[in-house]
Amino acid sequence: MPSDTSKAVIPIQVIDEPQAHEKRHVHEVYDQIASHFSSTRYKPWPVVANFLQSIPTGWVGLDSGTGNGKYLPLPANRSGETWTIGLDRSQNLLRIAMNANYGDTNCIREVVLGDAIETCWRVSAFDYAISIATIHHFSTKERRERAVQSLLQTLSPSHGRALIYVWAIEQDALSKRSIPISEQSSPGHGEDVFVPWVLSKQQDKSASDSAPERRVHHRYYHMFEKGELRDLICGAAHGMGLTVGSPREGLGPVADGMRQKIRGLEIVEDSWERSNYYIELRLWEVEAPDS
Amino acid sequence: MVRLITHNLLACHVKGCTTNNFPLVFQDAQVEIHEAEFNEDFIRGFMPKIEWKALVDSARQLGDTSLPEEQPEMADDDFLKTLHHVLLEMHIEEGAMVCQNCGHVYPISNGIPNMLLAEHEIG
Ligand SMILES: [Zn+2]
Repeated sequence: MPSDTSKAVIPIQVIDEPQAHEKRHVHEVYDQIASHFSSTRYKPWPVVANFLQSIPTGWVGLDSGTGNGKYLPLPANRSGETWTIGLDRSQNLLRIAMNANYGDTNCIREVVLGDAIETCWRVSAFDYAISIATIHHFSTKERRERAVQSLLQTLSPSHGRALIYVWAIEQDALSKRSIPISEQSSPGHGEDVFVPWVLSKQQDKSASDSAPERRVHHRYYHMFEKGELRDLICGAAHGMGLTVGSPREGLGPVADGMRQKIRGLEIVEDSWERSNYYIELRLWEVEAPDS
Repeated sequence: MVRLITHNLLACHVKGCTTNNFPLVFQDAQVEIHEAEFNEDFIRGFMPKIEWKALVDSARQLGDTSLPEEQPEMADDDFLKTLHHVLLEMHIEEGAMVCQNCGHVYPISNGIPNMLLAEHEIG
């Protein structure tokens, strides 16, 4: 492939109001590139597939930011034993997600048009949730934290499990992307960038005859740095009154012998893989002992 | 798609709407029946998590009266198949879901429910 400057990642500063910024540089872009984007995103990531494989029969889950729905049919060898419901902000991607399958079944998927930062579910409705390459599209730390809290609120406090993936500044050696660090950036806060998506006239279903041969769409990303996802999740948990750690650590002294439930969140995996950071977590609930 | 499995999990999330915001009530619903593979283990596992009254009432709104008022303690094969049909085979293609508390209308178009809110409605 010839070197192509139109594909270079561009460091930016978010100066617009966050919702307006996300509307223009996330929602509208995905609606326009939906079918081309989907044709390049068909392979499930093994860590996500393994997580879904580990979900017990009878559980119901949420895929928050489902995109083209490629995780909805998994695990393929246990079809129908669990149900994952897909939520996304892009109507055009959901139309694709509705029919997501790996060739073996003609099953119709459950999809909902909604925003990952809002909680359009009854509290504790889900047994598990995945958020794959979604939270990095929110343009302030407060909004990313709220998105994590929305996810946690939809989960069962006693057994809910979740897997969260975001893009990392630290890119894989095989990745064609390198992430420029802007002069304004400060350590611990990641990096705001535009990642271009080049759409040729043939790939763009909405293009008119007079449209230019190709258009470059700039997608907004907040690229995470090492430790930032963990900090975000811990901050979100603390904001909800959750203890971070294993259930044993939650059994601290209890005031006045009141019987009460202590709720917590345990991070069971915190890793980097192929240009992404990911965290797997479990929620727990224990009855505090009488003191 | 919106089926009753999903409807049993959705709730109104308009700012300040926190009581009586579940279940949403169907309006002008167009239902299509599509067969789905019966998985007994899934239905058994999901059963305890169902908000039963909401499911029974919603199925009746859609013209299906096959479910008993009370969730039976012993689930036999016939009952599980009935439940499977109600949860997974009735697709609401068009129409809307309305919040009984605040009156917000969530439209359903081409089988996709729209749960997005206007900016001033977001909590
Ligand atoms: Zn309401």
